[in-house]
Amino acid sequence: GCKFNTERVKRVLERALAGALGTTVYSPQDSAQLAQSLVELLQSQAKEVVPPRYKLVCQVLLGQQSQQSLLVASQALWDPKNDNFASTTFSNASLFAVATVHGVYFE
Amino acid sequence: QPSFVVDEVSSIIKEAIESAMGGNAYQHSKVNQWTTSVVEQTLSQLTKLGKPFKYIVTCVIMQKNGAGLHTASSCFWDNSSDGACTVRWENKTMYCIVSAFGLAI
Repeated sequence: GCKFNTERVKRVLERALAGALGTTVYSPQDSAQLAQSLVELLQSQAKEVVPPRYKLVCQVLLGQQSQQSLLVASQALWDPKNDNFASTTFSNASLFAVATVHGVYFE
Repeated sequence: QPSFVVDEVSSIIKEAIESAMGGNAYQHSKVNQWTTSVVEQTLSQLTKLGKPFKYIVTCVIMQKNGAGLHTASSCFWDNSSDGACTVRWENKTMYCIVSAFGLAI
């Protein structure tokens, strides 16, 4: 298929997050750097399973597990025929991560 | 050449946040409505700019309770035309982070 495959990208994100974060403990000093390297990893992994002519926007949210409430919302102005997104979350006892990849078809 | 003007987008986002949440304290029952309102208003104002762009807008609202939060983004796009803008807002009880991405058609 030549379209953005949500399920496939989601599986890639899940594997990448679990592999990178596993039992990592949240650390205020390291988390900014970790979020950045994580998003770059996710982008390169997602790029491998997305067809050509797609622009990608990848975002990662990395936070400390602390009984707080968090809501993420997103909306796009695009072409629903070709454009799509995949999103997944990961958590362990110490931290949580939300990863989203939006794929936009470029004519 | 149509381009993504960060200052212009930043103002749009700030206005959307203020109008949805300005003066409010965190309320679990309202968060859904706030994120929707921020994202919808931002997208609608971006559309009014009339530029040939596709847009993605993301909003995160988090209750303040001392927990740490970090965000990062990475894009595979056309550096000469595409752009992104992130606005971080907070009050005494919550954080709101809004990111808008514009991709030239």
